[in-house]
Parts: sequence; structure tokens; C-alpha cells
Amino acid sequence: MLTPPSGAPILVVEDSDEDFQALTWAMRKLKLTRQVVRCSDGAEAIDYLRRAGPYSGAAQPGLVLLDLNLLSMDGCEILAEIKGDPALALTPVVVWTTSANPADVERCYRSGANSYVLKPMDTDEFLHEVNMLTRYWFDVVMLPSSASE
Amino acid sequence: MAPELAEAAPPTVDLANCAREPIHIPGAVQPHGALLVLGEPGLEVMQASENTAALFGVAAGDLVGGPVAALLGDDGTGQVREALARADPTASNPLRLTVAGSGWDGIVSRTDGGALLELEPAAEGDPRSVAALYARVRGALARLQGARTLAELCEAVAEETRAITGLDRVMVYRFDAEWNGEVVAEARTPEIDSFLGLHFPASDIPAQARELYRRNWLRLIADAGYTPSPIVPAMNPGTGAPLDLSASTLRSVSPVHLEYLRNMGVGASMSVSLLRGGELWGLVACHHASPRYVSYEARTACEFLGQAFSVQLGAVGEGEDRAYDLHVASVGALLLDRAAADEDWVRALTRGTPSLADLAGARGAAVVSGGECSSVGETPSGPQILALAAWLAERDAEVFHTEHLAREFPPAAEYAAVASGVLATAVSRRRGDYLLWFRPEVVRTVEWAGNPEKAVREGGAPPAGAEEHAAPVPTLHPRRSFEAWSQTVSGRSVPWKASEIRGAAELRGRIVELVLRRADELARLNAELARSNDELDAFAYIVSHDLKEPLRGIGTFSRMLLDDHGEHLGTEGRDEVDTLIRLSARMNGMLDSLLLYSRAGKLELRLVETDLGELVGEVLDTLRTRVERSRAEVRIPRPLPTVWCDPVRAGSVYQNLIANALKYNDKPDPWVEIGWLDPERAGEPATLYVRDNGIGIARRQWDAVFRIFKRLHGRDKFGGGSGAGLTIARKLVERHGGRIWLESESGRGTTFYFTLEPGA
Repeated sequence: MLTPPSGAPILVVEDSDEDFQALTWAMRKLKLTRQVVRCSDGAEAIDYLRRAGPYSGAAQPGLVLLDLNLLSMDGCEILAEIKGDPALALTPVVVWTTSANPADVERCYRSGANSYVLKPMDTDEFLHEVNMLTRYWFDVVMLPSSASE
Repeated sequence: MAPELAEAAPPTVDLANCAREPIHIPGAVQPHGALLVLGEPGLEVMQASENTAALFGVAAGDLVGGPVAALLGDDGTGQVREALARADPTASNPLRLTVAGSGWDGIVSRTDGGALLELEPAAEGDPRSVAALYARVRGALARLQGARTLAELCEAVAEETRAITGLDRVMVYRFDAEWNGEVVAEARTPEIDSFLGLHFPASDIPAQARELYRRNWLRLIADAGYTPSPIVPAMNPGTGAPLDLSASTLRSVSPVHLEYLRNMGVGASMSVSLLRGGELWGLVACHHASPRYVSYEARTACEFLGQAFSVQLGAVGEGEDRAYDLHVASVGALLLDRAAADEDWVRALTRGTPSLADLAGARGAAVVSGGECSSVGETPSGPQILALAAWLAERDAEVFHTEHLAREFPPAAEYAAVASGVLATAVSRRRGDYLLWFRPEVVRTVEWAGNPEKAVREGGAPPAGAEEHAAPVPTLHPRRSFEAWSQTVSGRSVPWKASEIRGAAELRGRIVELVLRRADELARLNAELARSNDELDAFAYIVSHDLKEPLRGIGTFSRMLLDDHGEHLGTEGRDEVDTLIRLSARMNGMLDSLLLYSRAGKLELRLVETDLGELVGEVLDTLRTRVERSRAEVRIPRPLPTVWCDPVRAGSVYQNLIANALKYNDKPDPWVEIGWLDPERAGEPATLYVRDNGIGIARRQWDAVFRIFKRLHGRDKFGGGSGAGLTIARKLVERHGGRIWLESESGRGTTFYFTLEPGA
């Protein structure tokens, strides 16, 4: 099994500072060393993925965690844009959000989400999920080669 | 006349023959006066009554062809000429004439055959009696004008006429719509019988008599036993026909009438016409036990009173009509107020005073609405009324009225006693909704003034004065006996007055308006309710969803605090942070319930035929652990029905109710019963229920159980729960158009009833 380079970061598209803080705390608590990059809104995220503007030297992320309620754009639209662009489409995007609305779930899968995960309310479950996600997408899953650099 | 009667076979004798008797050309006069027909302008005598011989000593035959001056003298002739020269010859009457040395009243008029001069015995020439008469008439007039009701008016005219004439009995006859008569007022000497309240048939005063009375307002028969004095010659030379005596005061009357009077024991009679709107309304009819002549002056005074009566009749009648109209209108307004104030207008109309029946002067009334009948007062039975309403709906009439229902709707004969008369108005013809009023059969015990079947005497001699007939024909003869004859007129009620019919139609219009307004209002309220429910649901969804965000943060950060800095907090501090975490978890639970609740209102129902037995089986399966843990007995007394509903939502309802039943039970032998009640009427949904023998719910808390987050017990008792379960269950039930309610006794148990289909 090929081990993906531990260098590929997780791109977190998240507008809530608290949620991001909670994520980094969780990563720390779980002793996960993978780099986490944050974009606060969808436009920024697209720029990052295209390595446009200030992100020209950015590293290709191995996973995108996408929240759905973002300020400027609906997360699902970001998803659609990412998955619609052949240059970006191969990057795994996991919708990570609080909405359990089946309509949202369906919409995201139709737009090409790799999976849809609910952010849990309970902190223990939250830790567990962060752990699982990281392990699953970086230890279990084979990423496409273009995702790595 | 003759051609009608001279047929090959003797015609059937009936009252119709009598009505054709031509009473205006009797060819004779009453013998107390004499009649002369004068040609103009010469005033030669063309015809004379035979009794001039008896009265003046001159044979009628001798007078005919000669000048009238031979009888009247120049002075008298001059008066006659002057009178005839006037535009209205009768304005000069009576002329004071001297004939054969005595004073006679001359009464001048014109007829088809020439000028008519009737000579009647002159009144006593006492000026004081004339003045007294005038004073009496003035007083009588004032009295008539002061009458405020019809009864007062009739009594006044009867009494005043009697005072003027001194006749033994003065009655006021009133005709009904079919020309039967009723004696409505009477003034008499105490010694003779009263005829008040008597009814007599239309045939007593046949059509040609009534027509005559309409044109000529006063008739006198001075001696009922008189022998008519024929007119000589019988035919008028000018016209070649019998003389028209319509306007004559001496006209000889029908022998039928005379026999009638004689049989009544009447010696003299007089009648004055009472008109209304140019038509005959009734008569002032006078009888005297013995023959009696009433002077021209007195007769004129009575005729004047009759005219005054007719004038007043209009005013009084209108006054009474108006008063009654107002009464009907005010009853209608009161009824309408009641109906508008009560959400059940049917109940409002049929309960309380005034009652619906009072609107139309009826004994009973009913409202048929939505296939049901509510009645008040004396009415036919419910099914009978419904059948009547169905028949009315077929006739498609907006307003219907009759005094004789059985004639138009034969099945009504079985309840003719209570409802011979019906007035009905349609509130909704399409739905067959009606307002109905009922009048009972007026068992009109009518005392006929004799047998209405007039006896027929075949082959008898024609009455004196009538034309000779070619062959003996049956002639009508008056009734021989005057026994009071009760004739019951069955199946008829008192007729409906115009104001009553109008009042009914008016009420109908207002009720229709009211019903429509309410329907509109209801539709508007429903639309608003739907809209506000939608808004509420959307609001609840958004709110609960957005509220979760920071709540999650609170939980996470509390945990972070605990983990990273727990050792600095101390035990108490750590407990407090634990409480923080617990509280936010609880709030999260409530938000989840709210989300569920709002989703319950928004999602589309998928209605299918659902076997509730199977559904409950699945639900019990889901709850198996809880059932076993509670050691409750689950009873299903009989198989549950199949209903049209959304199985998922219905399942939620059952799950909620059964879980509650298991939870809130403190008995050693807990049980849950799941069953259903038969619907009360066909087409209604079955009522489902979940019953337990648990802790029960006190009545004052019954409303509260459905309130969201409202808990009746402490959070830690009976297994907790967010308190939204019943709220959601109710929402789901109501989405189906059903209802949910409960019955319970504190300490004994609770039953939750619900329906999953819209009911009545």
C-alpha cells in the first residue's frame, strides 16, 4: 500500500472561528500532526485550490473539509465548482456540517461530494470523528496521484 | 234568459243556475212605492208599475202614453224636469211631490229605457227629525273616523246604522277570498237571536247580486211578504227589452231571496254595500222582525255611513297592515340578531323567544339544514318534514306557501291536523336547506244559515214576475230549513298574510347572507391559519437549526476547558463545567424536538391504505425493549381497521402514545390497550385509542399536555423526555385532518383518542 506523503494538508473551509478552534484542539488532543489549512469562505477556498493569487505556492490538499453554511456562498455551490473543474475535481471533498436535512445530503452527493458527515454535538463523538476522518482519508484511502504533489 | 234554460233535457239543477238568475230585470217593483218610466224630453209616461191604481187611484194602463203631469201636476213635473236637466239627476233627490193629495218622495234617476221616477211615501215632515238625523250622522262619522282597528270600525258602523234606522238587527258581513260570508259585527235588540259568528256560503249572495251591489249601494225590502207589482208594459218601448232596474230603489228582488228572508222570520231587510278599492268587501245587512219602511233620508244617511266606512277601511286596514308589518319586521330582526350572535344559526333560530314560528304567526316552525331537521312548536315529525323539504327542493321554489298542502303534496294529508298550511323559503336549494312554518287545520265549524243544497221543486209555477217559460223547468227554491249546519272544512288553514310571506322571504335573504359571510370568514381564517402555520414551521426550522451552531460550540468549549484546565478548577469547578455540558446537551435535545416538530408540519403526507394492525405490530417491535422492561401487558381487543393515512407519521403517533403509556405507569400490573371505536355515523372515521392504567392526568392539566416542552413531572421522573412528543403527535394527527384528545382520571389511567381522517 502506498502511503501518501504526510505533507498533504487538510483544507478546512470554515467560517466559524469557534469551530476551527475546536478542530485544532481536537487534532492536538489526538496528537494528529497533519497540517491544517483554513479558508474562511468559498471564494478563498477556490483560489487556494487553484493556487491563484496569494496562494500561488500553496500545497495541494489531500482532503477538503467543507462546511455548508458559509458567508458568501452556499457550500454546495463551492462543491459544485470544485467538482466541476477537471483540474480540481479529483481532490476528495467531505461535506462536514451540522445540517442533517436529507435534502442537503442528496444535493451534496449529486454535486459530487465524496462523503457527507455530520458534525456531532457531543465532544467525545467529535473527537472520535476527527480521528476517524483523518485516519480514513489519509491512512486507509488511496488518494489519486494528482492530489499529491 | 230563456234560451239558457230551454234545453231538450232538463238541465241539472245546481247553485250555478241560481247565479244566472237575472235579478236586474225583474220586471216588477215592490209595492210600497210606484215606478214611472218617462220619455225625454217630453216626460210622457212610457211604463208604470201596476200599483198606481192602488196607490193613486189611477190605472197604470191609463197613465201610459200620457204626460206625467197628469199625475204630478205642473209643479211636480217642473221639479222633475229641473232635476233631469242637471248633470247628476240624483243630486236633487228626494223631490217633494204631491200626488193624489198626499206627500210623496220622488226619486229620479236614468236608466237604459229612459228617465226613472220612483215615488215613495214621504217621511214625516218634522224638521227637527231631519236636524236630529244630521246630528246623529255627524256623531257616527266622528266615531267611524276614530276607530283604530277593524273590529272597532265594524262595531261602530253596525251600532250607528241601527241608531239611525231603528232596525232590529244590524250586521256587518265580511266576504272571504271565495265569497263565503261571515258576520263579524252585530247590533240588535236583546229579544232576537244573535247571528254573530255565523258563516254562510258564497251561493247565498251569488255573483250577479254582488255585481249589482257593487254598483248600487243600498237595497231595501220594506215587506218581505210583498206581492210584486209588475211593470206595464213589460217591455220598454224605447229598447224593446225589459227595463234595467239596477239603480232602482223599488226593484223587486229575487223570489229566492224573499223566501230566504221569510224562512229567517224577517219582515223587512236593508243592506248597504261596503267597498274596498272599488270591490265589494262586505255588507251592512239589516233585518227587522216586521215590515218596515226606511225613509229616503235615513237610507241616504246609512249609505253615507257605508261610504265613510269604506274610506276608513282603507286607513284602518293599512294601519293594521302596517302595524303587523312592523311586528313581523321586528320579530325578524330579533331572530337575525340571535342568529348572528350564535355560531350555530340553526340553534339560534329554533331556541328562545321570540321563536321562529312567531315571525309568520305560525304554530310551529322548522329549519332543515345539512339533512337534519330542528323544529319548534307544533310541527310534523322530523322525517315528515325532511320528506316535505325534499319535495320542495324538487319544485325548485324559493318561496312557497299554501293553505291546503295536501292538495299539492298528497302525503301531507297524514299530518293535515297540525300542518295544513305551509310557508317555506329556501336557504340553499342546492343543499335542500329550508326554513318552514306550519299552520294547523282550521276546523272551521261553519254554521251555515241553512242547508246549502237548495231543494229543487220540479214542475212548479215560476215565481211571480218572472218570464213565462216555454216548458216547465226546474226552478231553484230557497232552503226550507234553517238548522245550523256544521260543515267542517278539512285540510285547510288560515291563509298566510302578505306581510308574513314577505317576512319569511326577508329572513331567508338575511340568513343566506349570514351563512355566506360566515363561510367566507371561515375560509379566510383557514387560509390565514395555514399561512401562519407555515410561517411558524419555517421559523421553527430555521431557528432550531441556527441555534444549534453556537450550542455545539458551548458544549465543545466547555469540554476543552475541562480537558485542558480541569486540574486547575478543582472538584467543584469541574462539576460546574460538567453542568454546563449537561445543560447544553439538554438544550440540544429540545432543539432536536423542535426540529422534529417543525418537520412534522412541513413534510408532505404520503397517504395510503394502511393496515393499522400491521403498523402497530411494527411499532411494538421497535419498542420491544421498553415493553419488556416495563413488564406491561399489551392488549389489542379486536383487530385494528385499515385506514387511509401516512404510515410513517401514523407510526410515530402510535410510538409516542405507546411509549408514554409504558413510561407513565406506576402500577404493579401495567397494561396498554390499543383499540378503536366504531364510528357513530356511516362515513365517519373510526376513533382510535391508546389506553393505559397508568398515573393518569388531572383534568386541569389536559390542555397543557399538548404544549411543547411542557412537562407535567420532574425531569428525572418517569424516564424524562423533552416534553415534545405529544405536541408532535398532535401535529401529525392534525396534518391528517384528524383530532386528538384525551380522557383520564388521576391515579387510574389515561386514554388518548385520535382520528387519522377528517370527520364531520
